[in-house]
Amino acid sequence: MFEDLVKTTAYKKGMPHQRFTFVPHPVWGKPASVHREYIEGKDPITGKPVMQEIIEALTKPLTDEEKKTGFLERTEPRIVGPDTPENLQQLFLKNGWTDGLPIVLPTEKKVAEMLKKTSHRPDKLVGKMRPSPPHEAWEYTVEKVAINAVMAGAKPEYFPVILAIASTGITSLFSSTTSFARMVVVNGPICDQIGMNSGMGAMGPFNHANATIGRAWTLISRNLSGGGTLGETYLGSQGNNLSYNNVCFAENEARNPWKPFHIQKGFKPEQSVVSIFTGWGITHSFGSAKKEFHQQISSLLGSFCPYSSGTSVAGALVLVDPLVAKDLKEVEGFDTKEKLSEWLYKNTLMTVEDYWNSGLVSTFTLPQAQLGVEPFASWLKLPKDALIPRFLSPKEINIIVVGGETNAFWQAGDFRYIGSASVDAWK
Amino acid sequence: MKKGINYSLIGMFLLTSLLFVNALQAEEAKITVLNPLGQPPPIALVPMAPRLGTLDGKTIYIVDVGFTDTHQFLVEMQKVLAERYPKANWIVRTKIGTYFEDDPKLWAEIKEKGNGMIMAVGH
Repeated sequence: MFEDLVKTTAYKKGMPHQRFTFVPHPVWGKPASVHREYIEGKDPITGKPVMQEIIEALTKPLTDEEKKTGFLERTEPRIVGPDTPENLQQLFLKNGWTDGLPIVLPTEKKVAEMLKKTSHRPDKLVGKMRPSPPHEAWEYTVEKVAINAVMAGAKPEYFPVILAIASTGITSLFSSTTSFARMVVVNGPICDQIGMNSGMGAMGPFNHANATIGRAWTLISRNLSGGGTLGETYLGSQGNNLSYNNVCFAENEARNPWKPFHIQKGFKPEQSVVSIFTGWGITHSFGSAKKEFHQQISSLLGSFCPYSSGTSVAGALVLVDPLVAKDLKEVEGFDTKEKLSEWLYKNTLMTVEDYWNSGLVSTFTLPQAQLGVEPFASWLKLPKDALIPRFLSPKEINIIVVGGETNAFWQAGDFRYIGSASVDAWK
Repeated sequence: MKKGINYSLIGMFLLTSLLFVNALQAEEAKITVLNPLGQPPPIALVPMAPRLGTLDGKTIYIVDVGFTDTHQFLVEMQKVLAERYPKANWIVRTKIGTYFEDDPKLWAEIKEKGNGMIMAVGH
């Protein structure tokens, strides 16, 4: 199952001849008796006995190849071709340089046009990106981002937004067997300047800027970090359809009765900003029997994963149509987004028993509790039926206003906020 | 007669021109584009640690990286190894934190007290 991943990761870490043994998959959820059968059985890839391979790995003398030192450089030519456009489309597809859809071929002329919309030099380093923490990080320049922006079909005026996204170094194709998705929300004057959609259909396939900016991030994540190679740098068992465009849209600031998201995060109204979120999915709560929006939202958030690792915590992102936002403020009394987040934090609870039984909690949070990290260490001592908040703080629950007021609709996703970047810095 | 020869020459000239234009168009249809790939870091080769001639009297650590159910799997592995190779000392240890986190204290202990290590992920 993970042969390619193991071998390419070892190669990239400088150990192309690392000695491995595999057992049948999965190990997770199997009883000890099955684990023993695995150990006493055969490696499903080589067919050799697992025990024999383990002992040979420990005792068989090294070969000359295994003793080698030195460096392996990996460079690619700057130019591809010459060839016909049709052949180049097939080459890009075959090389895994696309998202499976036809691309705009990045001729030098088209890339030069894209580069005109930034004041930065083409050879300026924009950032580094890796598919996930164990993987190596690749570097990329302004020109390389421009190439991928052209491929996505983006217009040159979108380029500062795409550069801002690329500057975060955050991949949209995070490599996990659980199939993550990303979201990018744009705020500030740039949204109207380049014709982004924040109203009706904003999260759907109806706007050129929304579509191509989001797509550019996917191509950047594949090509500028070595990501998206199935079995090696992408392991999502089912994949995530949101990854085609990464839910790229503009917040509806004109019809937002509260502060826009970027202002909540400390930016000024006149600044243009991209904000990045990560999660797994978005859904609605038509099934809720609650009458008021804030109670419906709490009901849906009550099904989201509550994990917390050393580097990230569970979050929720509530996407409300302006009609819903107006109602939440004027009828239900939440005159700021922060007050709504606070209420949701205090009222979206779960039992201690359910918390520790959650799969991701047992993998990521239990080790922290055992090391004495609070509040988890204290939660280990609570009775099973004690109630604790599902989210660690109100800050983990964010609200974005988007939509065209054809329906008092809202959705929510288990998306946590990662960070924001300035678009203006890349003009 | 002269007219017939002239028409043949004109015909040959037109045919040749047509072939030349077609060839030219076929050449012009090829383009170059820019490579979209970023720059991976150079790979520094790490030589493998020398292997043990024998397991007799050796201490081998079996390291659990913390993935769910890996510990149970490795405890079973320890039992089987101890049954088959009783002259070696097999020790199961769990690395601190999640599987992304480093554990320098454990590596120091293994370097000091161990002769080899098996590290495993049970997914």
